Amino acid sequence: MSLPNLLIPLMVIIPITCALFLNLLHERIRTVKVISIVVAFALPIIPLFANYGTHYFGGYAPLIQNPISADLPTLITGTALYIFHPAITYVYGSAQKLMIFILGIVGLFAIFISLYEVKKPSGVYIYLMLMGIASITAMLLSDDIFNLYVFFEIAALAQVGIVLVSKIKNNYETALKYMILGGIASPILLLGIALLLGVTGNVNITDIVYSIRNGLINPQSPVLLMACSLIIFGWLYGTGLPPFHVIKSAMYSKALPTGAALLQAFSVFSLVAFGVIIIRIFSYIPFTHVFLLAISLIAMVLGITMAITQTDFKRLIAFLAVGELGYIGAGFGLGTVFGITAGLFQAVNESIITALLFIGFGTIMYKTKETDMQKLGGMLVATPKSALFVLLAGIALAGVPPFNAFQSKLMLVQASLNSGLPEIAIIMVLMSIVTFMTFMRAFHTIYLRPKPVDLEIKNEKIPKITLVAMVIFLAICLLLGLYPHLATNFLQGLAMSIT
Amino acid sequence: MIIDTQLAALFTAGALIVIGIFGALFLDNLIKKVIALAFIGDGANLFLVSLGYKAGGIVYIFLPGMAMSNFSQNASYPLPYALVLTSIVIGASTMAVMLGIIIILNKKYGSISASKILGE
Amino acid sequence: MNIYDIILKKIKDIRMETGDNKPVTNIAASSMLTAEITLISSILIAIVILRLLNKNLMIVLAVLVFVLIFMAMPIMPKLKREQNDSLTSMNFYVIIALGIIVTLFYWGNLNV
Repeated sequence: MSLPNLLIPLMVIIPITCALFLNLLHERIRTVKVISIVVAFALPIIPLFANYGTHYFGGYAPLIQNPISADLPTLITGTALYIFHPAITYVYGSAQKLMIFILGIVGLFAIFISLYEVKKPSGVYIYLMLMGIASITAMLLSDDIFNLYVFFEIAALAQVGIVLVSKIKNNYETALKYMILGGIASPILLLGIALLLGVTGNVNITDIVYSIRNGLINPQSPVLLMACSLIIFGWLYGTGLPPFHVIKSAMYSKALPTGAALLQAFSVFSLVAFGVIIIRIFSYIPFTHVFLLAISLIAMVLGITMAITQTDFKRLIAFLAVGELGYIGAGFGLGTVFGITAGLFQAVNESIITALLFIGFGTIMYKTKETDMQKLGGMLVATPKSALFVLLAGIALAGVPPFNAFQSKLMLVQASLNSGLPEIAIIMVLMSIVTFMTFMRAFHTIYLRPKPVDLEIKNEKIPKITLVAMVIFLAICLLLGLYPHLATNFLQGLAMSIT
Repeated sequence: MIIDTQLAALFTAGALIVIGIFGALFLDNLIKKVIALAFIGDGANLFLVSLGYKAGGIVYIFLPGMAMSNFSQNASYPLPYALVLTSIVIGASTMAVMLGIIIILNKKYGSISASKILGE
Repeated sequence: MNIYDIILKKIKDIRMETGDNKPVTNIAASSMLTAEITLISSILIAIVILRLLNKNLMIVLAVLVFVLIFMAMPIMPKLKREQNDSLTSMNFYVIIALGIIVTLFYWGNLNV
């Protein structure tokens, strides 16, 4: 096996190994720093060098690719057993490359900022972030639905951990609520996977799709419908679409800014990973598309209307992030190649922009230790540079050219018009406008209105790395906004292969 | 045998899940709530493991001296057993974290009542 | 009494119920109003999608929902009160959602 193909499992193995190692030496600050920096750089760099292809764990390729298969009886070679995948399979394509790269960039800066914003970096925090990144990477790569479930659970635990270490008021309560809801939703997801396994006898998604498409099992079997509904319910939990939007936004608001930036990237990419699978397996059920569209619309409306009424700015951004998830879901729900490409593009854009917003507004917390907007004001004088970047991020979030979300939202609007659903296009545009209004309200109250008398602003300087991170995020936004085909070329292949 | 073993296992799994959801909704004591959640997880695991059951089946290890045809017809399905082990480990670790949080919250509030701790 | 005053009064009532004693600022009332209008308009637009199913049904439903919304106004404070951080209410909605999803998928697909 050549080295570049070996890099596919290493994308998951390196962060996990280093995470476990960091957890052991969390007292030695210098070593922790050095290892964290090296791994953080490895996160976005490895996917750039890995070749496209598949990796079979244990080397158990399907029999058809195996040299020993020449001697097998026709009992095996004549049936589907011949092409089924016996091993856990990782598939690395161009879309995975872009998404893992973007996740790596967000992770890189989250780790860097957390190393430099505090005087004594905590190995445990870095450990949790790396575990989360590794599991989301594995979810994007995995072609095995049970493997996906395992990493989904690890990601959920890592997210709880990120909230637990934040020391923000009431973080333990929120984490416990999330875990209790997860305690209901994850077994339900497992049950859906078990039903799928029971019907098809397989956990490999390619094989499941093959079984359904080629009539090895009855596609209209009620068990499959049940499996679809249960898996979709688990998907709602993992991504924070309604009815989980309240707890998910609470989780974001109880994490540190770097943690929140990572948490939303986790939600976005687990939405993509599971959404792709739902579309691949269940797109033959017409109701799946209807349901995805409906839940996305509900997410948009509930997320954004709840965001307007918030007074805590972290909660506000959190609800906006949930609302933006609706756009991605709508792209998947449309079910056309163009729609899914637009949805994936929106996922990439949103993960960057929301990370930028969380980190940008995080500077306010760094300066004042205050998140209530009613007690804030006049921060423009204290943090002029980050104010500018936050403003640009908000403009990008709302979908104003020349930034990237403009391109993806335009594509989504076009896709819904092409599908003969102009109403969805209208709601999307309406929600973009309201998003912008909500953001401007927050921006005005925090930065522009006169400073309240009792507000104390600490005299510490914002770390340079925070500003650098914001500039680089903005540069990516601008680059993808001016040259959208840079991203869509990567994503189109995946969209074409799943419809 | 009045009822098929596999069917009985599936019914038990369903009952465990329903009881678990009921408990998670209506019990106020946090420890009891966690136990109810464990019920849901156990139900899902039991369901998964009973999928591999085969009436009159043999263990899926091919020993020397076995007839190939006998093995291939009678061995039970091994995949669910492999999967359920992972799933049980995940459930146990999740429960450990939950109980840990409850210990901390108990120190803070002096109570393990869900309505008192996890209200608004 | 115009609609703005009604909404302001409703928000005050709900604040009293939840024991939240912060004064109702202009900005809070106007954002509540924006949320309300956004919600109503998007619901009404979303109903138009039903034209793909049946045009008459869409017209009847649109009128019905419009009247219902007008009678139930303001909705947003109630909706916000429902979506609170209490575990019991979240649990409740999660289970309800599970029931709805399973029912829709199971019977919806079998009988269409």
